[in-house]
Amino acid sequence: MSTRQLLIETAEKIFTDHTDKQALDAAEAGQFPEALWRILEANGLHEMALPNSGIALADVFAVFKVAGRFAVPLPLPELILGNRWRGASDGFVSVGLFQDPDAVAVPWGRRADRVLAVSAEGLRELKADTVIAGTNIAGEPRDRVSGSELQLLNSEEDPLALLALARVLQMAGGLERTLELSLRYATEREQFGRPIAGFQAIQHNLAIMAAETAAAIRSADAAADALNNADPYRLPLEIAAAKARVGEACGVVAEVAHQVHGAMGFTYEHELHHVTRRLWAWRDEFGGESYWQQRLGSALAAAGGDALWSFIASRD
Amino acid sequence: MLRFEPTSLPENTEPLRQEVRDFLSREGAHLQSRNSDFTTGHDPAFSAKLGAKGWIGMTWPEAVGGGECSFFERYVVTEELLAAGAPVAAHWIADRQSGPLLLRFGTQAQKQQYLPGITRGESYFSIGMSEPNSGSDLASVRTTARREGDGWLINGTKLWSTDAHRNHYMVALVRTEAPSDNRHAGLSQILVDLRNDSAQIRPIKNMAGGEDFNEVVFEDVLVPADRVVGEPGNGWQQVTSELAYERSGPERFLSAFRVLVEFVRAAGKRPSPTEAALIGRATAHLLALRRMSISVAGMLQAGQSPDVEAALVKALGNDFEKLLPEMARLAAPDALAAPDALASSGALAVPDPVTSDDRWQTFRATFADTLLLSPSFTIRGGTREILRGVIARGLGLR
Repeated sequence: MSTRQLLIETAEKIFTDHTDKQALDAAEAGQFPEALWRILEANGLHEMALPNSGIALADVFAVFKVAGRFAVPLPLPELILGNRWRGASDGFVSVGLFQDPDAVAVPWGRRADRVLAVSAEGLRELKADTVIAGTNIAGEPRDRVSGSELQLLNSEEDPLALLALARVLQMAGGLERTLELSLRYATEREQFGRPIAGFQAIQHNLAIMAAETAAAIRSADAAADALNNADPYRLPLEIAAAKARVGEACGVVAEVAHQVHGAMGFTYEHELHHVTRRLWAWRDEFGGESYWQQRLGSALAAAGGDALWSFIASRD
Repeated sequence: MLRFEPTSLPENTEPLRQEVRDFLSREGAHLQSRNSDFTTGHDPAFSAKLGAKGWIGMTWPEAVGGGECSFFERYVVTEELLAAGAPVAAHWIADRQSGPLLLRFGTQAQKQQYLPGITRGESYFSIGMSEPNSGSDLASVRTTARREGDGWLINGTKLWSTDAHRNHYMVALVRTEAPSDNRHAGLSQILVDLRNDSAQIRPIKNMAGGEDFNEVVFEDVLVPADRVVGEPGNGWQQVTSELAYERSGPERFLSAFRVLVEFVRAAGKRPSPTEAALIGRATAHLLALRRMSISVAGMLQAGQSPDVEAALVKALGNDFEKLLPEMARLAAPDALAAPDALASSGALAVPDPVTSDDRWQTFRATFADTLLLSPSFTIRGGTREILRGVIARGLGLR
C-alpha cells in the first residue's frame, strides 16, 4: 500500500469514529473536540508534514481532502502546516491571517497553544494575550488573537498559497460528499409515487453537480500534484487556478444540493448544511475566487497573449 | 461517482508539440486566428500539408497510411492546431470520425480505398446522420436504402451535413430494413460519393453568415453494393461506438479560445483587476477541462469505453465555450463600445484597418464571430440535454 493510501485509510478510520453529526453539532456549540485531537496526536497525523517526516507534501494534502469529506471540526491543515513551519509539534497550533498587530480568523484561536499569522511578508508567531471569539458562516471558530510577536519565521514556502491549497482539497472533499448526499436523497425521496431521481429536471441538476464536482476534484488533484512536479513560478499559479475553479464549483453545487434536498436540507437536524456551509466559508478563506483569479490573470497578462497557450498546455 | 484519473502526457509528446508549433509559425499565412472553432476554415492546401507531415490518421496502422501513434500524440497535434486557430475543417471529420469508423467496421477493400487519401489530407468526409425530423432522436431516421440489382437505392433527406458541398464523401445513416420493435435494428451506414452520385446538395446559410452546413436530398440515388460500411444492419452499433472519441477532444472546449487570447493581447501587460480576474477565471476553467479531456484520452488509450466521462467533458466544455464570450464582454465594457466591426457589414467583417489604433479591434471581431457561432456549441455532436441524460445514467439515476 502506498504512503498516500495508508494515510487516507488511517484518516478515514479516525474521522468515521469521531466526526458524526453529534460531534459536529458539539463543535459548533463551542466544545473543542478533545478526543479527536488526542487521537490525531496519538497517530502522529499532526507531525506528518514536519520537515523530516519523509512524507511527500502532496500525500499530506490528500488527507485534507478526506478531512473535507467528513467536515472534520478541527483545523487540520493549520495544525499540520503550522507544525511544519515551526519545525516542531509542541501543543495545539493554529494559523490565521496577519492584520497588524493581530492574527485574525484563527481557527480555534481560543484553544491554541501557538498562533501563527500569515501575511505577504511571511509568517509571524504570536504569543496570545487576548482572544476575541468568532465564527465563520459554517460555525467554525475563527478568532481574533492579540499578543506580542514572538518571532518572524523563515519559510521558503508561500504559506498563503499552501493554506489556500489546503482549502482547495477540503472543498474537493466536501463537494464529493455533497454530491453523494444528493444522489442518495434523490433516489430515496419519493414524490408523485416515484423517487425524485426519476424526474428529468432533477437528473439534469444532479448532472450539473456531478460535472462541477468532477472538474473541482480534477483541479484540486492537479494543484496538489503540482507540489511535486511544478516549478516555483508555476506552483502558485496552479494553486490560484484551483482555488478559483473549485471555489466557483462550491456555489453551484451547494445551491443545487439544497434544491434537491428541499425543506429537509434546510433543517439544522440534517447533516447537509455542515458540508455546504463549509463550502461557502472555505471558498472565501485564504483568498476568494476574485483574489486568485486576479493573481493568476495578472501573471498571465504580464507574460502576454501569445504565451497563454503554452501555460495551459502543460504535460501534467 | 465519475473519476477522471490524473493523466500526464508522455515525454515524447514534447518534441512533437514543438514541431507543430514550428510548423504553424512557418504557415502563419494559413492561420485565420479569428476563432478556434473546428468547423471554420476549410483549407484543402493546409490539410494536404498536415497530411504530408503525418498528422492526419496519426493513430491508424501504417498499412493504410497511418502513423501508429498514441492517442496522446494525436491529442497534442489537434490541440495545437485548434489553439492557433488553424483551418482544420476540411479533414476534421474524416480524421476524427469517418476514418476510425472505417478502420473498425469497414471491409478490407474499404480501408484500402478510403483511408490512404484521408491520411494524405486529400479526402474529406461529411456526417450524414440528422434529418428534418431526426435530431437528438437519431434512431428515428427515415432515409431508406433498398437493394436494387447490384446496388442500393437511397431515398430521403440528410440535414446539417457540414461541408457536404465541399467534401468528397458522406457516411449516411439509413434504414435498410423496415422499422421493428427494436428501433436500433435495421440501420446501416452507406458511403455516398458527394461529387459523383446524384445526391442534391444545398448549402444552408447559418445565422453567423457562413455557408457550411447543407441539406442533402436523395431521390432514387443508386450506389454500388460495396458502399455499405461493414455489414448491413450494423449501423446503430457503428454510430454509438465512437462517441467517447467524438465527445471528449479539445475541440469541445477550445471553440472560443481565441476570444481569450485576443482579450489578453488587448488588455496588455498591466490589466485592470477586472480584466485580470477574467483571464484568471477563464484559464482556471481551461486547465481543468483540458486535464479532464486528457484523462479521457488516457482511458481510450487503455482500451476503456469512457462514454459517460466524455459526455461530461463535452457538456462542461460547451458550457464554458458559451460562458467565455459572456464573461469577456462584461470584463471589458469599453471593448464593445466602438461598434464598427459589428455594424459595418455583419459580424464576419474583416477588421477595419482604418481604426487599427483601437487595441480592442481584433478582440471585437473574434468576439462577434464566436458569439454568433456559440448557439451551435451546445447542439452539435449531442445536445447539452442529451449529454446530461447520459451523465444521469452514469450516476445510476436512470
